[in-house]
Amino acid sequence: MFSQSNRRVTRVTVLFLSLVAIGFIIATFDVRSDQDSVGNVLREGTQSVFTPFQKAADWVASPVIGFVDGVANLASLRSENDRLADRVRELEAEVQATTALEEQVRQLELINGLEVAGDLTTVTARIYASGSSPFDNVRYIDKGAEDGIVVGQAVVDEDGLVGRVDLVSAKDARIRLITDPLVSVGVRIQSTNETGIVSGRGDGPLRLEMFRATQPISVGDLVVTDGSRFPPGLVVGSITVAASSEVGFVLRSEVEPATNLSQVDYVKIVVGFTPIDPLLDGGSDDGSTSSGGS
Amino acid sequence: MRRSRVAVALASVIVAIVLQTTVFGAGRIRPFGVAPALVILVIVLLAPYIEAEYHVMIGFTAGLLMDLMGSGTLGLWAMSLTVVAFMAHRLRQRFADSLGMTVAIAALLTFVGQLVFVVVGTLFGQGTMSEPGLAGKLLLPALWNIFLAVPIALGFRLMFRSRERRWAS
Repeated sequence: MFSQSNRRVTRVTVLFLSLVAIGFIIATFDVRSDQDSVGNVLREGTQSVFTPFQKAADWVASPVIGFVDGVANLASLRSENDRLADRVRELEAEVQATTALEEQVRQLELINGLEVAGDLTTVTARIYASGSSPFDNVRYIDKGAEDGIVVGQAVVDEDGLVGRVDLVSAKDARIRLITDPLVSVGVRIQSTNETGIVSGRGDGPLRLEMFRATQPISVGDLVVTDGSRFPPGLVVGSITVAASSEVGFVLRSEVEPATNLSQVDYVKIVVGFTPIDPLLDGGSDDGSTSSGGS
Repeated sequence: MRRSRVAVALASVIVAIVLQTTVFGAGRIRPFGVAPALVILVIVLLAPYIEAEYHVMIGFTAGLLMDLMGSGTLGLWAMSLTVVAFMAHRLRQRFADSLGMTVAIAALLTFVGQLVFVVVGTLFGQGTMSEPGLAGKLLLPALWNIFLAVPIALGFRLMFRSRERRWAS
């Protein structure tokens, strides 16, 4: 016959196993559910509840963290300042040289009826929170449906593509970074105009796959969006591994994101772009994500 | 009394989640790019103060909230933190040995919790096992939790004991 303590251990073990089983069932349903699933409704609801607390914590912590960062980086700031001053001089010279070229490009684009990413309507937002673990590749921004944000829009900063909007409430939204394994972006190599798909790997460089490549790619080649799902010409990153195609094989390489995703504080959401490819249920390429866990 | 303890434990979990996503969020306090796993730490350190059944349920709830605030599949952190809470409860007698033992258990269970998440995440197609820098993501939060465990453990001891005195009177 069980003693009272044994009975209690058994009860706790049964509860533990039941909760693990419930977690397993929830995960299975979430993987198989679509974009408008109960899971996403719960995510939006939870985020709405947590947002005021997160904003308050962010508001309180920002000055302290800024001060700590400043003190910690004091030594490196001086050399960084010198380096930036040199860089500014170089860029000023480059700007003068490219002004004439820009005008020519603008005229050509007008003639061809092309859209220019810089001319698209954007909404500036501030990142106030991120995911809850090192395996999360999401950020929360302080703009939502009331500001014209909808799921699927491209998110950029001054360096290039940051990610895409994947969850929207009235005043806030969640963005999924390009490093997320569930995100793929249709891209073009700027120097060769060949297209491919860039996918996240959770962290570090992105994976580039090109299915019909005829020309080799070199380290440093710029990778930009191809315009199918996101506005064309947004910088995604640069090639870090040179590669050439073999007949019948996919050309694979790596792309270093242009944006330092761990340091982004402000982003712009491109609200004035209509994608060529509609966002498919279940998602596949070009910025869509598979619905499970999105 | 039991209800108050559970309420305090739940409030601690919510504070931990808010701090995890803001103060320890991206671009904030993340030494070597990885933040402490504050929520796991709180779940572990609550073990001596909450009854086992409630502790396991709080672990599940905390995990589910982490899932809802994160980018992964729902239920993965819920499973992981349920395992952490269950193991923490089984080791709760050790917490009384010394503060050093408490810290060691906190670090170990932080690692175990994240490892369970990685394994289950891979089973559900999250690709967590093949992420670059996986070792750092598993080990560094456990390391940072060693430093946070002492103040939080002492804080819980003070908080729950002072409440006990108030309940007793």
